[in-house]
Amino acid sequence: MTLALDVKDTIQELIKAKKNIRIYPENNPVYARTINNVYSRMTTILDSSGSLSLKIKQHDIFFEGETVYHSDEKDENLALFFFKDGIRELTFNRGLSKNEMEDFLRILSVDFEREVLDDDIVTLMWEKDFQFIHYIVDDSILLEDETYEERAIEEARKASNNNEGILNAYEDAFGLEKESGLNVVPITDEDLKNIILEIENDPQDKSITMIHLLFEMLSYAEGMGEYKELTGFISSTLEFAINLGNLEAAVYTLKKIEHSAAEDIYGKDAYVCLKELKNFINSARFVKLLGEILDEGAEFNEELLYEFASLLDKRAIPSFIHILGELRNAPARKAIISILSELGKKDIPSIAKGLHDRRWYVVRNIICILRQIGDTSAAEYLTRAVRHPDRRVKKEAIRTLGVMGTGSVLPVLKDCMSDTDELVRLAAVRAIGLIGTPVSKKIILDRITARDFRNKSYNEKKEFYEIIAKWKDSDVISLLIRNLKRKTLFKRAKNLEIRAAAAHGLGIIGTEEALENLMKLQNSKNKLLRENVQLAIKRITDEKERS
Amino acid sequence: MKKREVDLRTAGKTIINQLGVVLRTGHLHDIDNVAVIDAIEKFLNLLNPITEAEGSLRIDLVGEFFYINDSRVRYPLEYMLNFDYLLREFQKRELGTVIFESQLRIDDLKAFLKVFINATYSSTPYEAMETSLESIQNIRIDKLKKIKEDGDIDQRRIVKKTYFNAVSFTEGVMNKLKAGEKVNMKVAKRVVESMVDLILSEEQLLVGMTAIKDYDEYTYHHSVNVSVLSIAIGQKIGLSRKALTELGLVALFHDIGKMEIPKEILNKPTAFTEEEWRVIKRHPYWGACTILKLKGIDRTSIRSAVVAFEHHLNYDYSGYPKVRYPIRLDFYSRILTIADQYDAMTSSRVYARVPLAPDRALSIMMERAGTQLDPILSKFFVNMVGVYPVGSLVLLDTREMGLVYECNPLFADRPRVMIIVDSTGKKAAGFITDLTEKDSAGKYLKSIIKTLDPNKYRINLAEYLL
Repeated sequence: MTLALDVKDTIQELIKAKKNIRIYPENNPVYARTINNVYSRMTTILDSSGSLSLKIKQHDIFFEGETVYHSDEKDENLALFFFKDGIRELTFNRGLSKNEMEDFLRILSVDFEREVLDDDIVTLMWEKDFQFIHYIVDDSILLEDETYEERAIEEARKASNNNEGILNAYEDAFGLEKESGLNVVPITDEDLKNIILEIENDPQDKSITMIHLLFEMLSYAEGMGEYKELTGFISSTLEFAINLGNLEAAVYTLKKIEHSAAEDIYGKDAYVCLKELKNFINSARFVKLLGEILDEGAEFNEELLYEFASLLDKRAIPSFIHILGELRNAPARKAIISILSELGKKDIPSIAKGLHDRRWYVVRNIICILRQIGDTSAAEYLTRAVRHPDRRVKKEAIRTLGVMGTGSVLPVLKDCMSDTDELVRLAAVRAIGLIGTPVSKKIILDRITARDFRNKSYNEKKEFYEIIAKWKDSDVISLLIRNLKRKTLFKRAKNLEIRAAAAHGLGIIGTEEALENLMKLQNSKNKLLRENVQLAIKRITDEKERS
Repeated sequence: MKKREVDLRTAGKTIINQLGVVLRTGHLHDIDNVAVIDAIEKFLNLLNPITEAEGSLRIDLVGEFFYINDSRVRYPLEYMLNFDYLLREFQKRELGTVIFESQLRIDDLKAFLKVFINATYSSTPYEAMETSLESIQNIRIDKLKKIKEDGDIDQRRIVKKTYFNAVSFTEGVMNKLKAGEKVNMKVAKRVVESMVDLILSEEQLLVGMTAIKDYDEYTYHHSVNVSVLSIAIGQKIGLSRKALTELGLVALFHDIGKMEIPKEILNKPTAFTEEEWRVIKRHPYWGACTILKLKGIDRTSIRSAVVAFEHHLNYDYSGYPKVRYPIRLDFYSRILTIADQYDAMTSSRVYARVPLAPDRALSIMMERAGTQLDPILSKFFVNMVGVYPVGSLVLLDTREMGLVYECNPLFADRPRVMIIVDSTGKKAAGFITDLTEKDSAGKYLKSIIKTLDPNKYRINLAEYLL
């Protein structure tokens, strides 16, 4: 096969690569195979001939005067792809690395028609600073005015040419005193260090500086039109910043708005525009942008999120609740929950509206937010949420009612103790225990002493005894001891479960009296009772040793 | 093969840096000192794997740049001192090439170091080195070559073309904006990239273009000049090519707000009224707004707008527009302010007809370093344009008079000069003389003894430098 044929094939591989790299992600085997194929063909040619130089015309690519590619197409024309941006010759040299080949192919695969880029192919190649791929560019396509250079030089030469002036200068020169002139200024190590630091610390994202200056510019604005224009620029800068994951820019803007209002810096019209700007940051559009960037993996620290939320308006709450249900990533949802937990303090009813959301997980998140806020006025809304059809929501609502701890919710929780779902009932008894009032105690005791209590599962019984053990009153202790010793003729297995649960409770209570009674049963023939008694004894003795 | 070449590119800067360390240490200590031996060992550890793989390692000095096996070495800023040191030491000895072959030992390097150091005391250092090195078989040297005049002419043509393309583009941008048309940022980038390429390879030629001020369209030339000078400062402080493009682009648009100033004010030959000054001082505000409208918000437009707003604020905020809450000026603003002030001072503007001589402008700028101007960046700038900037009118000790044609970054007081009056006082044809040239005894053939203000004598630089 001749070299020209090899080159033709290589160009066909390049065309294939242009498509494949556009379609397949880097981790796809086709992507890797494509790079390998082109690279292998290219290195075969370069190993034998040292370099491969291609001349580019609008419709053709030539190798050593021979056409190796031709296309009359307007789209998908490889020659035109290079030609339109001024590339006239493309040379690959021996030594080309696979990385450089890949970088080149990635540029080749850019869809300049679809992607909004400020760069053309020459700029992209220039930025890569290829070592083994060289190109010749015709820059005349950049010319605004081809005659400019000629005209400018002519004009400049016409200006003030003066033979006499030169000779006068020469004459004067001998009369002048010798000058010491300016000296070279030494650059010290310290200077270098400072410059390196400057370069390293120069932030890529200048959004906050821009916003700062736009606020300064508001002082120079004249009339509503200019105020609007400037605040519009701030909004756009914020959108740009948030897309880069820069939430500080929004915090900075909100603080600036507050500060300028407090200091009364600008004219009346400016505040109208600044209000609109604030509305924009509180808008569904901005919140959506924030959600998108969070979902893409942006991370913000809690402090920043709380600061941002504290500066927001309560009107932003519905938008945040809305995106809470849209986000796919758990960390993203966590960030929104943090924001709502802070923002929600300003308006509990608005947050509580989220309890009506059709998505169970949103409702559960809202309950979680209400719990984090800890405002007891939310209890009213939560008592309704315990009737939610989804068990997970019910449990979260019950738990939250327990944590928020007001006696007024006890009747609702008491009802939940009769739920058909054991997990809901367990959540309810725990919540009642958490509230911890005498009424709570009574509710639990009533249930433990009820006739049908023995019919509950062992787990549920044990949970009840564990909760009641938190009250270390004499009536509770005597009830537990009584139940520990209790013997029955019928339903003995159920009774043993009660005794084991009571042993568990006494272990938590941990008094001498409890220990004494437990010791008597440590060798019980019943395994369940024996194990629970032994564990309770161990718990008490360990606790004693620790104290 | 491929792997080796890639390594060479990245290892190049470390090798040059370490050679600088070896020579510096050798100058300070006895050759058998542990610090010298340590430096040599480190150098050999870098060098020998490459000579083993490639057969040899060749270091060339071409102009201001080092090449290793024909690949230009780009170095990070932290190596700058050693690079500059090495550059000076090579120049002093007229040393252009060193070739290290096969496996070198410590003794070979010690011998080379000794020869290198001793050459300082010779009036013909290169020849002294060449003779002494005859006994060392695996290190060869070659004399520093002058850049060919033919190539020089071609390069000047390219430089001129690039410069005027940029001016023409800037004029086009302004006209398009006035007409409410869209500006092609892709082209803007390409224009600046060409300038960056030239600054990296022919810095002095492109910087020299900014010395010619006799054009009609001040604003467009000024924008390009500021861009060129900013890129040149950026290059000196070690900004990446991408950052240099951004800086150049930002600088190109820094005065875009002037478009909004009415022509009657802009071209007013007499002093401005207070109200006219107020209008002029609004151009940074208009500039920032125009840029943000021009292409929407992105990284470059934000930076351009920031710099357009800040370019007259000054390092100490003594400029305009006044701000309520000053924050540290943007890094690019501080670079650009220096370039802007220098170009403005050395240009003839409508409201300041007589420009300052370049050396006078530099003196003023050094006085402003630390107040109006960033002190460190000012140092870099003065060193970059040289103590005799291009366009300076100088009298030589040979009674010849000339214009500084090209600065020598290594020998600031020894530029290349275009002779315009010969030693008999007659107007000369404008031949170029290099003030680093020496006679056989090692003495400089020509030196500058006085500088004059070319503007005072209305000397047209364009006639000579274009």
